[in-house]
Amino acid sequence: MTATLVTDPVIDELVQICGADHVFADRSARFNRARVPAPFPVHRWAEHVPDVVVLPTSAEQVAEIVRLANRHRIAVVPRAGGTGLTDGAVPLRHGILVDVKLMNRILEIDLEDRAVTVQPGINMLKLNEELQQYGVIYPDDPASYPCSLVGGRIGTSGWSLIGGRYGHTRDLVISFQIVLPTGELIRVGDGGGRKVRKSSSGYQLKHLFMGHQGTLGIVTEATLELVPRPEAEFAAFFSYPDYETAWRSTGALARSGLATLAGVVLFDEWKLAYLRRDDEAYIPQPDSVRCVVATAMYGTTDEVRPAARRLLRIGQESGGSYLGDEISQGDWASRHDRYATPLHGRLRNGQVVPMSWHCEDASINWTALPRVREEWHDIVRRLADRYPIFDDWGMFAYTNGAFKPWGDYLTEIDVGIWEQELDDESWSAWVEAKRDIAAVALKYGGSISACHGSCREGEVDLVPQELGGGFEVMKKVKRALDPNNIMNPGKYLLDQAYEGRADEGQAYEGGETT
Amino acid sequence: MPPNSRSDGATHGSGAGSTEGSAAGSEGESTRSGENGRVTAEFVDRWRNAAYNCYSSGHKFCREVCPVMQVTRDEVHTPTAFHANVVAMEKGHLSIEDVARDYVHCTQCGACELRCPNTLFTGDFYRFRTRTVELVRAMRALAVDTGIHQPNWQRWVEETVRQKSEPVLGEVPVSQENVRAWADGLDIPVGGETLLFCDCEGAFSRTSVPRAAARILQRAGVEFGLMREQWCCGGPAAEMGYVDRAREFAQHNVDDWRAVGARRIIVFDPHDYIAFTEDYPRYFGDEYDFEIVLLVDLVAELIRAGRLALTQPVERVVTYHDACRLNKRKGIHETPREVLRAIPGLTFTDVDHVTQWSYCSGAGAGLGIERPDITAEISRRRVERAADLGVDTLVSACVWSERPLSEQGGKRDHPVEVMDLLELVAQAAGLNGSTPGPAPRTGVAP
Repeated sequence: MTATLVTDPVIDELVQICGADHVFADRSARFNRARVPAPFPVHRWAEHVPDVVVLPTSAEQVAEIVRLANRHRIAVVPRAGGTGLTDGAVPLRHGILVDVKLMNRILEIDLEDRAVTVQPGINMLKLNEELQQYGVIYPDDPASYPCSLVGGRIGTSGWSLIGGRYGHTRDLVISFQIVLPTGELIRVGDGGGRKVRKSSSGYQLKHLFMGHQGTLGIVTEATLELVPRPEAEFAAFFSYPDYETAWRSTGALARSGLATLAGVVLFDEWKLAYLRRDDEAYIPQPDSVRCVVATAMYGTTDEVRPAARRLLRIGQESGGSYLGDEISQGDWASRHDRYATPLHGRLRNGQVVPMSWHCEDASINWTALPRVREEWHDIVRRLADRYPIFDDWGMFAYTNGAFKPWGDYLTEIDVGIWEQELDDESWSAWVEAKRDIAAVALKYGGSISACHGSCREGEVDLVPQELGGGFEVMKKVKRALDPNNIMNPGKYLLDQAYEGRADEGQAYEGGETT
Repeated sequence: MPPNSRSDGATHGSGAGSTEGSAAGSEGESTRSGENGRVTAEFVDRWRNAAYNCYSSGHKFCREVCPVMQVTRDEVHTPTAFHANVVAMEKGHLSIEDVARDYVHCTQCGACELRCPNTLFTGDFYRFRTRTVELVRAMRALAVDTGIHQPNWQRWVEETVRQKSEPVLGEVPVSQENVRAWADGLDIPVGGETLLFCDCEGAFSRTSVPRAAARILQRAGVEFGLMREQWCCGGPAAEMGYVDRAREFAQHNVDDWRAVGARRIIVFDPHDYIAFTEDYPRYFGDEYDFEIVLLVDLVAELIRAGRLALTQPVERVVTYHDACRLNKRKGIHETPREVLRAIPGLTFTDVDHVTQWSYCSGAGAGLGIERPDITAEISRRRVERAADLGVDTLVSACVWSERPLSEQGGKRDHPVEVMDLLELVAQAAGLNGSTPGPAPRTGVAP
């Protein structure tokens, strides 16, 4: 069993480790670290409040906190930006919340071997502000680019808008240091070298410790890829009269083989209708425009200029109309801000109400996109029929592969929720809808999540089905590495790893230093 | 030792260190009863929609641009938390006692509002924009109304009420007798249609700034006078939550303006500019019909019109510190640069005003009075950014920023001098004697 009661002596020990200024047990500190953007049922806020918050400043402190938690069998929940769209940073079992935001230093910039080493609490925008002077960038570009932190990107195995060109977080993090659930500090990467990108030595542990949603430890340092700051950016948006044409065009663009192509994004008809209806920043298009495809390229001027010509030709030959420079450049430039656009939705009678944005994502192959789209919209329509506090805000499909943007797509459906009106019944219906959405992804050979993670209520039920025997391995790994189930317990159905275990009750004492 | 040092200062219980109620897996409600309960309920009612608009978005783009958050990295100091607390208060999870101290951690610079996607993209739909500064002020006022005081703010406001000016430490002892001492020898009349309002920091500490202001106006032939009896603008009291006190200052000042038939008030301090263009109209409604002129705008106009000649080269390598209340609160970033570019001899290395959304001196809204450590660190980082540009001088247009920035600039191995834009203009105009006097004493009273 994992204890949830943090007693005063435990707090005293935490103060010994981190200093009084970095240990908070007051209500404000705890309530404000219970939530992530979405989905978070506000009516159940009090269930997810940590007992104590610590802001460590070093890997050694993190390791000591984890060892302390093992001794006392207290849950530990890591938190970086808390901007994730699954529940990774939400303390389901209370306990000690380890907030890494104070660990935000740049430790080394290596321009020769092209790697920057940072602490996990640094934000990508801030990092790139520093890197700018050297002509390099760290090209991890999620929608949350201005606010998410490197540690959380690793914990969720994040996805980047320009991943088709530069890769996603797992490709861009060369190696990292992590405190294991028993308090040992190790480094994982491709092999052992801190700045080695490819190795065939030993098990490839980097992927194991990426996207675990805080269930396998706390990242305390990361060595990241540096790429030349692109000389040229080219964005082109195309419009289409129908989804079929837009979808075929998306495939043609993504399969073009243009190495500078960073991503292709397909907006479906529901998304266009939503933008027309309620997006203040939407630049009006004729009604004949039903779908939009956005593309962006990065590289040297010598590469991008001719590639842009070919890209425009492919877009137009596959049925798209170029939407012009203003929309293409402006909309792409504001891509991060646009992700937070939804502030309101509508009831069936047209009444505008404040709504939270909830995004369900999956990895779906190109061939399955049209059917998944129809089934997902049906699920949300049925949900909104029963509970008008839900509103369908349409779908995006983004190229999902690293370095070569074809094959499968980060597919998302955006749903507005009037959160103030949420109650247990409508929340259950939402959870059920999420499960149904995940089931459709699996039915078409996809994965439940491309970028958020799949450990929230509803979708998580289908993770064993998705992973099959792999889920059994997950449980064995979890139990082996976290014998006391203290690392972010309650996530990913991993409590099952401890069911019926003979040694239950024998705490791992930890304590040794590494 | 208590685990939460940030609650130590509050003179009213803050609930810090308490974990009771969490053991069973649910949190007890924060208590709310009686008159305070009613006041809180009204507050929540007024701010509910604004709070949900942030809560519903929840993306925290504001965070890395916030000068306080950049230093403390503490999530309870973020605009997100400032809004979420209202939702938590509505749900009974948090009370004003729980959160009052958190709201100290804001300079009211307004960066978060500019960076908020709700302001940027959907605001007009509702005729709504994120108003974090107003929320922080309202929450501080709620704290005061419910008897929760931050000790240094309370003393500061009490002293201001007693002396009619803020208790700044400076060259001149603070008192009503000395409120015009900065103008000694300048032959400025009292009264008239146009008045120059001198803020407390300028009047008692960095007197070189109001002296430069006055001499520039005289040189350009602008007729102006001083108030008969000038009190603090009341802005700081309002920013700290002491709204009734602030109104008393405002009433006095407006009465004084009316008594001499003033129509036009010139201010050089951005904080006064905010008080006179945002707070006073709220206090007095339609009957408040004064023209408020920001001196830097006027100086730019005078230079353009050929009424102020800048002929003396000023051999300095400078960068400009965008005053938060001008750049972020009022969108004024062009005229200070225009004025700087008109000064001969200067080498001006500019950093654009949007990049400077995340810059601040940390001096605003009483942060330096309650948390001088944070103000100092914000200023240190600001000066370091200037030093990185290889400049010898950081030019500000906000007299309040100049104290903490100067302290940090002077501590460096290669010092960065902090000058007010008006001091530079006066030099360039050949107005000798307008250079800064002795370095101000450090720290703030009491």
